Amino acid sequence: MAAESLAPADGLVWKIVKKAGDTVKQGEEIVILESMKMEIPVTAEADGTITRLLVEEGQAVEEDDTIAEVE
Amino acid sequence: MTNDKPEIPPEWQEKLAQFEWRRARARELGGARRIRRAHDRGQLTIRERLAKATTSFHEIGEFATYDDVDALGNLRSQMPASYVMGLGTFAGRHVAIGGEDFTVRAGAPQTYLDRMKGGLGGFVEDLAHEYRIPLVMFMEGIGGDIAASGEKGHSYLVSSLSWGRSYELLGEVPVLAMVSGSSAGGTAGRTVLSHFSVMTKDSVFFAGGPPLVERALGKSVDKFELGGAAVATRSGAIDNLATDEDDAIEQMARFLSYLPQNVWQMPPRTPSDDPVDRPIDEILGRIPTSNRRPYKATDIITPIVDVDSFFEIGKHWGKAVTTGLARIDGIPVGIIASNPMHLGGAMDAQAAEKQIRFVDMCSTFHLPLVYFADVPGFMVGPDAERANVVRWGMRAIQSLIEAEVPVVTIQVRKAYGMAVSATSDPDGLSLRIAWPTAEWGDLPVEGGVEAGFAREIEESDDPEAYRAAINENFRNIADPWRTVEAFGVEAMIDPRDTRVMVADFLNASLHRVQTDLGPQQRQWRVRP
Repeated sequence: MAAESLAPADGLVWKIVKKAGDTVKQGEEIVILESMKMEIPVTAEADGTITRLLVEEGQAVEEDDTIAEVE
Repeated sequence: MTNDKPEIPPEWQEKLAQFEWRRARARELGGARRIRRAHDRGQLTIRERLAKATTSFHEIGEFATYDDVDALGNLRSQMPASYVMGLGTFAGRHVAIGGEDFTVRAGAPQTYLDRMKGGLGGFVEDLAHEYRIPLVMFMEGIGGDIAASGEKGHSYLVSSLSWGRSYELLGEVPVLAMVSGSSAGGTAGRTVLSHFSVMTKDSVFFAGGPPLVERALGKSVDKFELGGAAVATRSGAIDNLATDEDDAIEQMARFLSYLPQNVWQMPPRTPSDDPVDRPIDEILGRIPTSNRRPYKATDIITPIVDVDSFFEIGKHWGKAVTTGLARIDGIPVGIIASNPMHLGGAMDAQAAEKQIRFVDMCSTFHLPLVYFADVPGFMVGPDAERANVVRWGMRAIQSLIEAEVPVVTIQVRKAYGMAVSATSDPDGLSLRIAWPTAEWGDLPVEGGVEAGFAREIEESDDPEAYRAAINENFRNIADPWRTVEAFGVEAMIDPRDTRVMVADFLNASLHRVQTDLGPQQRQWRVRP
């Protein structure tokens, strides 16, 4: 089962911290959004490998959009 | 002495036999088939709910009957009335408790009785009002239905029924509502006239269900898409989400544990084995000093309140503020916190609405408020304006000024613009305790300088350098220590001292709270 990381808020993708194929631990930052002048981290929902990263820097995202999947 | 039961006198035998026969019939609800259908859906019947939720229960109106007639008015059978209620012990407290019986005409109002048992008004609400005890309601019904006019022999104007008692109770006793199954129309309306509502994740709640929507709008909608828990807990119609009925009952018990029996009593303080001077060093790791880094509001609330005492209310809507009940040194308190994870903590219309309802409830039941403020302002942008953020925001300010309980504000980080007025009570003591991470002003320096000195910057010889110099000047002025030294904020403390300090002020404030009991006297009668 892939664990999806969702955008916690509307915003712009400010920084990609990890890339597809990277190993992450639960809670680790994958992407940082910028929303209302705040850096909002999107974190891994499980330990594993990032199988899909669905955004690129500068992209606008909406709350609950899938940002990444970890398996 | 023998263990034999005393003999029943012959003249009593027939009376008691009839009594037992009628009681057995009353307890059959709408019949085995309908009960099985409820069980197949994973739901309890109203009698099972009452048995599960209470440790004692004395039923009222057990023999009230509904005549089940066909569409032409011919009597098919008699069933118990579609509401079960009485005096119960719930979570160790005397309560008036009841709920619709969905197995009898989908819990429709008992307009066929001389006196309604519950639902909209009715005996159970009079019981809560007259005895000044909480009202606990299990909401499962479809509101009115066409069969009602068949029973009466005429159609009635719905406005002949009064909601007065249901509104009156909100200012007198705690009112709690659980939704399991379908809560529609009048039942949905009665649900929101409560201080706390909770629904199970597979329930539905709406003004009108899919058949009505189809007729009115020609739209075919799935009932969960229309009014599932994901909709009702995000709109704010329902406060909390529960995994199942056990969880929902547990959440109602927890909510009630912070509240008094009525507004004439103090909230129940419980002995606490969590020392007020417990070290809370972890708090420093939870507040990023960079104001661009968010944190979860609950992460800074939990170390400060008594262990495991925070009970969040309204988690799924108005997410820019987090609200919930907690205890500090055993004293029940209302907690409000800006939540930088959502809209950077900016107060939008929904957050303001959520805060108002929470502040009003805390003030009604004499729960002091602790506000963790980190607010960049009212939310801006097209969506915020369309949602009427300014009016809702100004109402939030009003509700906090009107609150008749002490308000302690922890100034966590940002405090910019009008929204800051919705984080403390300037007409009261206005105790604002700042942490060294705090910053405040009309506008943040960046952006504020741009707006205020655009022409001056443009007309200077070196606009870039001039802008930088103005920024530097205003950053110095904005240094929060200058405000502290001018006594523009009541205290600046090490965050690690917060728990012990707030506990001390709350303890002192109780002298005020316990001499201010009774129904809330609103300062102003009109909300803008």
